Amino acid sequence: MEHAEVHIREEKYQITEGNKKWAFGLMIVGLILAAIGYFTYHPHIEGLSEHDLHHLTTKRLLANLLVNGYFFFIVSICAAVFIAISQIANAGWYVAIRRIPEAMSEYTLIGGPILILITIFGLPILYHWAHEGIMTEGASNYDALLAGKSWYLNKPFFIIRMSAYFAFWIFCAHMFRKYSRNEDEIGGLTNYHKTYNLSTAFMVVFAFTFSMYSWDQMMSIDAHWYSTIFSIYNFATGWVSAITIIYLFTHYLRGKNYLNVATDEHQHDLGKFMFAFSVFWTYMWVAQFLLIWYANIPEEVAYYKTRLFGSYKFLFYFVVLVNFLIPFFFFMRRDFKRSRAVGFFVGGALLIGHWLDVYLMTMPGAMNLATDPSDAHPAGIIQVPFQGVGIMEVGFLCLFAGLFLWVTLKALTKANLYPTKHPYIMESALHDVGI
Amino acid sequence: METSKNLILGVYDNPDKTYSVTKKLISSGYSVYDVYSPFAIHGLDRVMGIKRSRLSVAAFLFAMTGLSLAVTFQVYVSYFDWQMNIGGKPSLHIPTYIPITFELSILFTAFGMVACFFIVNRMFWGKNADIMDIRVTDDLFVVAVDTKKSKADLGSLNQLLMDGGAIEVRERTKEL
Repeated sequence: MEHAEVHIREEKYQITEGNKKWAFGLMIVGLILAAIGYFTYHPHIEGLSEHDLHHLTTKRLLANLLVNGYFFFIVSICAAVFIAISQIANAGWYVAIRRIPEAMSEYTLIGGPILILITIFGLPILYHWAHEGIMTEGASNYDALLAGKSWYLNKPFFIIRMSAYFAFWIFCAHMFRKYSRNEDEIGGLTNYHKTYNLSTAFMVVFAFTFSMYSWDQMMSIDAHWYSTIFSIYNFATGWVSAITIIYLFTHYLRGKNYLNVATDEHQHDLGKFMFAFSVFWTYMWVAQFLLIWYANIPEEVAYYKTRLFGSYKFLFYFVVLVNFLIPFFFFMRRDFKRSRAVGFFVGGALLIGHWLDVYLMTMPGAMNLATDPSDAHPAGIIQVPFQGVGIMEVGFLCLFAGLFLWVTLKALTKANLYPTKHPYIMESALHDVGI
Repeated sequence: METSKNLILGVYDNPDKTYSVTKKLISSGYSVYDVYSPFAIHGLDRVMGIKRSRLSVAAFLFAMTGLSLAVTFQVYVSYFDWQMNIGGKPSLHIPTYIPITFELSILFTAFGMVACFFIVNRMFWGKNADIMDIRVTDDLFVVAVDTKKSKADLGSLNQLLMDGGAIEVRERTKEL
């Protein structure tokens, strides 16, 4: 067929001075801001003792680490899911941009251990169920409801579970990269079939383990509360963010005259993914909210009460508006999905929105102070009002974003920018979504 | 308005030939009425200069119709006409309207788009389909050239179609 000529180029990404400045600049500025935020944070809340207020500073520090560690980790693991799903579906279109999710998944090698460390330090401080005495009968802060869950919610089992999930996911992501890079050298279909087989196993295991993992890491912060749709909602968060980052990287690399096989058509399809899964995220969000709001059962409503009526109210509505309305109304148009300027605007808004969403899942529960159950505090929790998204939050976000950026860019240099010997590379280069 | 079209058909057995002959016909000034193929040929729509479908605009309007009807109906029923106390929830409250509004928007969009598609393609109940060549439903491809609209010389059309690899060239009238 007569088409524009496609040349398969073997080229690697060259890290520019600008990249270095940005990545390390973000990390350094982030670290400084986080330090300033940490040392200048002196909360004044009426009715709290000096000890509690001091404890709050530690809590905020660890909660910030948890928010960012979790967000960037699920984004990078969802990039591996993107590869696995496309592989199982025998997709051809994505091959031109395949190295971007591969590079993003390399962050799991660093992000995974960091998150495990954060969790080990954060467990007794951020997680109400992990406090001393909660599960010991006779202790002053004994909580019978939580004690009933002790066979599942206990520190050793928690860390072992988490490490096991991470080990498997990181191993699979590593093998995807290895097969893909090996394919560039030897060609043929061997690596394609190997990736296919591993992807099927990965997807099945991931579906179950990610559900359990999100209960552990996020839902157990509010240990009394549970929601059955929580894990798919968390997956939607990570998945939309991962695709948004792939979309932004594609725009960026094409702007630098790399990725000659990726066109506006690929950009369009990634944009469709962003649009579709933003709606999917909203569906999950509404499904969780609406049922709990309607049924009005006290133990379920507690989660929303702090967010909907307390000081988190603005953030609560803001997150939905950003994550739904902006992609919905901007990316509904075909030419906006292909436009660089609009793409960067919507992509940036989505990333901020989903980061804030993770923030909103973590913070209200993690900042709560533990106390002995009484008539005033029946759940043994003192609600701490919203402490604001201040320089500490911005600092940690910059720190992790810089690290993520650096690892991803570094990983892009390790192999050709697109798999030159992939069986579907020509199909992807000629990809056309039509008029 | 004309009621029938005089067409010259070139029958091909290969999508690549169909694609390149269509391109050549259009660049030489012939008017291609349509190309018939058992499956979609990538890039052909661009070569033929087909404009982007306005179906998506129609879909948006249908969705808005469904949305406004759903909101109007629910507000009327649950607030103005007959208020009921369900779980102590207020009668006029947005979250309760979301599922039905969502479903009705989708319902209107789906039905509206199907109706639009039928009307635009003139597919009515009882109408017999006028298939250009019965073999395009199986394994052959047909390029139909509009003789009246074509600006180039029709004398050399036969040669051009045959050069492109046609297995057959013939005339046909299509009732509109």
